[in-house]
Amino acid sequence: MITRPMTAAVLVATAAAASAAAGPLQVSSSILVEARSAAPDGTTRVTLVKPTKVTPGDKVIFVLAYRNSGAQPLANVVLDNPLPRQIAYRSANPGSPAPDVSVDGKTYGSLATLRVRSPDGSTRAASPNDVTSVRWRLASPLAAGSQGQFAFQAVLK
Amino acid sequence: MHAKGVIRTLLAGTAAIVSAGTAMAQTAPGPAGTAAGTTVTNTAQASYLVNGVQQSATSNAATFVVDRKVNLTVATNQPANTQVSVGQAGAVLTFKVTNNTNGIQDFLLSTSQTPIQGLFTGDNFDVTNIKVFVDSNGNGTYDSGVDTATYINELGADQSAIVFIVADVPNVQAVSLAGVTLIAQVAAGGDAAAQGAALVPSLLANDDNAVDVVFADNDSDGLGPDIASNGYGRAALGYEITTRNVNLTVTKSSVVISDPVSGLLLPKAIPGAVVQYCLVVNNATLLVPASNINLTDIIPANTTYQPGSITIGGLGVGGACVLNGFPANDDGSAIPLTPFTGSYNAGTKKVTATIPTLLGGTSVAASFRVTIN
Repeated sequence: MITRPMTAAVLVATAAAASAAAGPLQVSSSILVEARSAAPDGTTRVTLVKPTKVTPGDKVIFVLAYRNSGAQPLANVVLDNPLPRQIAYRSANPGSPAPDVSVDGKTYGSLATLRVRSPDGSTRAASPNDVTSVRWRLASPLAAGSQGQFAFQAVLK
Repeated sequence: MHAKGVIRTLLAGTAAIVSAGTAMAQTAPGPAGTAAGTTVTNTAQASYLVNGVQQSATSNAATFVVDRKVNLTVATNQPANTQVSVGQAGAVLTFKVTNNTNGIQDFLLSTSQTPIQGLFTGDNFDVTNIKVFVDSNGNGTYDSGVDTATYINELGADQSAIVFIVADVPNVQAVSLAGVTLIAQVAAGGDAAAQGAALVPSLLANDDNAVDVVFADNDSDGLGPDIASNGYGRAALGYEITTRNVNLTVTKSSVVISDPVSGLLLPKAIPGAVVQYCLVVNNATLLVPASNINLTDIIPANTTYQPGSITIGGLGVGGACVLNGFPANDDGSAIPLTPFTGSYNAGTKKVTATIPTLLGGTSVAASFRVTIN
């Protein structure tokens, strides 16, 4: 157990170095909530705003925006978002591709393919509450100057 | 644990892996949810190839502070109303207050005796000297002098406290039911030595770095004064009078009915004479009925009970029976068309007359006859 924080510290150092080198891929994380307002045509308009009051049970939207600020195309782009432990995954946000999810941080796939091992050794189908990490892979290289974003919905435990 | 906690805090702003909490299994929050004041931090990482070289990137850390979701449950903690007698002091009602807020809170306690519509039909009096105390030793029973706290101090999320209402029943005969409502209000926790101030919801736009107060409690009493999202919870119980004192008197008289010599005309109390004893029971307390009156009398020495002579329900005036009532069977069986029963026990020579209810301000007579030996 003692070694874990050490490993984390090393990772931080690596990340910091990469950041300092100002790599071409810029990743921006934001946490938003839905705000509903009545539109002039009578429908309800849902916009994403900065989190105002967030209490347990509320829905929050995690948005990952990425951009290739370099001059070279970037291949094999993988965006990985481990979930804060206070957050329970729900689904991809409408309009965003569905992420691969993981319940152990190692194996990724669609939720239906994942199983959770219980303390007694048996396994059961994974539910959204079991998700600990989400991941997206870009199928094609990210051209210079292009950008995009992914988003998923979750609730505050 | 402490050292790891410090490291995690330091790294939260930069390292995605650490903020994920994968390093150790975390205990899940209770039903109240993630504690208010918790900073939720999200960081993503990316990896990619540029010109065949593996690179990585880390996002900014997006954060928000979990706000305080104020909720409570106030419930009765006894199966029925408390049964009391007129004039009883220190009668107790028991309630349970549960903190459903995602944080440690104080709870202010108060009472109301305003009748609640439809809940306590027949509520016709108020108890006096009413006090509220918190169960200090967790035994669920009010201990006078031990349970002295008047507010709930530092109650954790999803934790409960037992609360007692202690009051005196006035010494008034006409009372029958008093409904009392316990009112709990969520207050600020954090000071173990003093009562916190009542919470008020944050009205201003959220400050992401501060803990806002959001009221999420329900309307706990339907048509009553409580409304949803006001930081209050209510529950009501009643004091029910089941024992009253009545001013009950019994007057006994006797009259010689007949003797073997003179017959019915001016009979004398000579051997063989028939004597009728009259018991008149009077309930002098107006409006309060007396229940389950048992009149018993052992026949005098040197007399013999005259079988089948018990009558109950007659009219007695001034201690004398002016009208005999319904004849009773000596075996204690019910007298047809009346609530009375009468019996004679030859072994103990005891006459018993049972009158289930005697209304306030009325009297009823019972009589029996003996023969002088």
